Amino acid sequence: MDQSMVMVGLENVLSLTNILAICIGTLLGLFVGAMPGLSATMALALLLPLTFSFPPATGLSMMASLYLAAMYGGSVAAILLRTPGTPAAAATVLDGYPMAEQGKAGRALGISLTASLVGGVLSGFALLTIAPLLGKIVLEFGPVELFAIAVLGIAIIGSLSQGSAVKGLFSGALGLLLAMIGMDPTTGTPRFTMDNINLFSGIPFTVALIGLFSVPQAIRLIQESGETKKVVSKIKDRLLPPLPDFIRLLPNMLRSSVIGILTGLIPGTGGDTASWFAYNEAKRFSKDPKSFGGGNPAGIAAAESANNAVVGGALVPTIALGIPGSSSAAVLLGGLMVHGILPGPTLMTEYGDVTYTLIWAVIFANVALFVLGMAFTRLCVYVTQVPNLVVAPVIIVLCVIGSFAINNNMFDVYLMLAFGFLGYIFDRLNIPPAPMVIGLILGHLLDMSLNQSLLIGQGSWGVFLDSPIAATLLAIAAFTILQSTPLFGWIRRSLFRRA
Amino acid sequence: MIFSKRILFASMAAMAAAGFAPTAQAQYAPGNEVTVLQGFKAGGGSDALAQLVQPYLAKELGVDFVNQYIPGATGAIAWTRLAKQTKSDGRTVSITNTPMLMTNYIMNDSITYNIDELEPLANVVTDPGIIVVAKDSKYQTAQQLLDDAKANPGKVTVGNSGVGGDDYFSSIMIEKASGISFQKVPFQGDGPSWQAAMGGKISASFNNLGITFPQIKAGNLRPLAVFTEERVPDLPDVPTLKELGIDVVAGSSRGYSAPKGIPAEAKQQFLDAMKKVAANPSFQKDAKDRAMVLDVKLGDDYKTYLERQQVQFKEIWDEIKDEVKKN
Repeated sequence: MDQSMVMVGLENVLSLTNILAICIGTLLGLFVGAMPGLSATMALALLLPLTFSFPPATGLSMMASLYLAAMYGGSVAAILLRTPGTPAAAATVLDGYPMAEQGKAGRALGISLTASLVGGVLSGFALLTIAPLLGKIVLEFGPVELFAIAVLGIAIIGSLSQGSAVKGLFSGALGLLLAMIGMDPTTGTPRFTMDNINLFSGIPFTVALIGLFSVPQAIRLIQESGETKKVVSKIKDRLLPPLPDFIRLLPNMLRSSVIGILTGLIPGTGGDTASWFAYNEAKRFSKDPKSFGGGNPAGIAAAESANNAVVGGALVPTIALGIPGSSSAAVLLGGLMVHGILPGPTLMTEYGDVTYTLIWAVIFANVALFVLGMAFTRLCVYVTQVPNLVVAPVIIVLCVIGSFAINNNMFDVYLMLAFGFLGYIFDRLNIPPAPMVIGLILGHLLDMSLNQSLLIGQGSWGVFLDSPIAATLLAIAAFTILQSTPLFGWIRRSLFRRA
Repeated sequence: MIFSKRILFASMAAMAAAGFAPTAQAQYAPGNEVTVLQGFKAGGGSDALAQLVQPYLAKELGVDFVNQYIPGATGAIAWTRLAKQTKSDGRTVSITNTPMLMTNYIMNDSITYNIDELEPLANVVTDPGIIVVAKDSKYQTAQQLLDDAKANPGKVTVGNSGVGGDDYFSSIMIEKASGISFQKVPFQGDGPSWQAAMGGKISASFNNLGITFPQIKAGNLRPLAVFTEERVPDLPDVPTLKELGIDVVAGSSRGYSAPKGIPAEAKQQFLDAMKKVAANPSFQKDAKDRAMVLDVKLGDDYKTYLERQQVQFKEIWDEIKDEVKKN
């Protein structure tokens, strides 16, 4: 049964339309990623409404390939301009830019491409192996267990979000609050809807995503338009890394890929977290840690294989439980739901063909990225030169069309603009918007599953301790929160003193 | 570019709604475009009906159907637009689902449309209610489930597709008819409800035949009773609630409605076309292949059907609303 679905998925991906979709997605991703300041999440959020009219498999293939390509595209700007194209490429700057200064821009980009290929393919196969198991595990996750997983997700947002933990928590909490808008799932009473029926189903998170991630970037681009961009380095040397180079970096890439896959599995974390993890580990394992930051190819390899490996990992909780592992995965989740495919046990059975097509698309998109990347990276240099005053209005127009097309409702356009304004304020105050989106998604789940659990448990909170899965997850959540309080340090200190 | 076409259709529909469309003739003419407002996402149950009916209906009427999806507020956004902002020239119709079409405004004062502002055209399918349990459930028959619930009031957990949905109201109707009280657990849709039953998280799921049939056939779910007048041919061994002494017949129906006051000629044309479609053997086969139970009610029959349900749901809601809001 599963075996045949795997093959059906493979055949689907190899159809002409899907290969075309993957190539277009890859090129779009390359260019969007290469433009400084445009993130993979934003590109995905804008592409999502365009895929509505495609068959699910084609639309999702295109989104998956764009996601992956944008992860690499980000490193083009990072290496050439010292400006990470995407947040996930921030770690690439450290060694990529110095290499470019030394006239080795081509080599740096080649390593980045190769590392992306290794990370992406590995994570794709990891997904392919884990996926069949998911269908069975998912049935074990009823309301009680889902509540625990939502709590864990929220606990992790606070402790792992980039920048200040307090700001991350604030953003997540605001997302949770906004998730309360809409009809109460157990009583049908409208909450905070101000008698506006457009709010009865709550805030559509894809609309919030488009506003939060795209509008502030467009505004920032306009503000920065006065500054002239300069390409410090041209690509003069060849891209394809020599074989000895590749073999020397392979263990590093494999380790970083595993880090990326595991980081992706955790809700609320994305490519940025993974690439820093992997970078630090590579530095720790290195015989010559001092050379990091001065143009060591190992630094690029670690960061780039990790941030592409995140893609496969992040898709695991997304397709199995509907809990996105990253904000980009949240948009892919939106893509699945738009095509009427709900996360859960049916994803591997009833919708198995689409799900496996998506997984194969992730794998093949890496190959497409490698080939197209080798051919078009030199062209990306020109993309980084497109004036901001051209890019910004295009983004805004796409935002408006995109948010209208989701529900064919003008209200959503106004909602998107409101979120865009909020996102701009967040941007100025350095508050990360990703926890807010995750909060918005988990808030619905939290609300629904808490009510259901208490109904099933006849109003007793003990129901959460009766389920071993839920109890374990909640314990991990408590541990995560305690870890970031002074209590933990105090315990550790007193233990060491005794020893 | 399919996408730009969608936008074009959407804006055309908006213009038609605003009254910019050329004065329409009272009848459908070949090549006319008829917009179908759908209150749910593409790929859902409403869309499944559209995919089944519209290819046949388009041929009979000689028109092109354009689906417009306006999901939100369990269909209320689309139906409010149909009742309040759509020109009643027959060029815009909507897929109307029971019981949500009525329960929306019965349960919420801020939803202001009602069925008197609509012209019910035809009901097409009714997916009967069903009780399903996991294959390893301790309940072998509906009687065992009901006896257990009678002995332990409020302890047996039954899932439904959400407050205001058909399964929610049929659970209440069963409770009233039998004097039993269940612990009702709402889910977001039929899928999560049967999945929870399949995983043993709840005792049973009150669901719909067409939705659970693939899992029943695969042996993952066991059907205990159907909410129909007579046993269904696909499940000859499963008793009806009536046989068990509980007088409840329920399900979720989907059909077509127009805004009030569409031209009589257009309405008659639509009904005649639908009648021909319903009699078409290849249409009937298509419906059977997709596990959709045909239940065609035309014109006034459909209207009476909706009105009778409105009275029934209002009665139930008036009785229980204080209790529900207390939670």
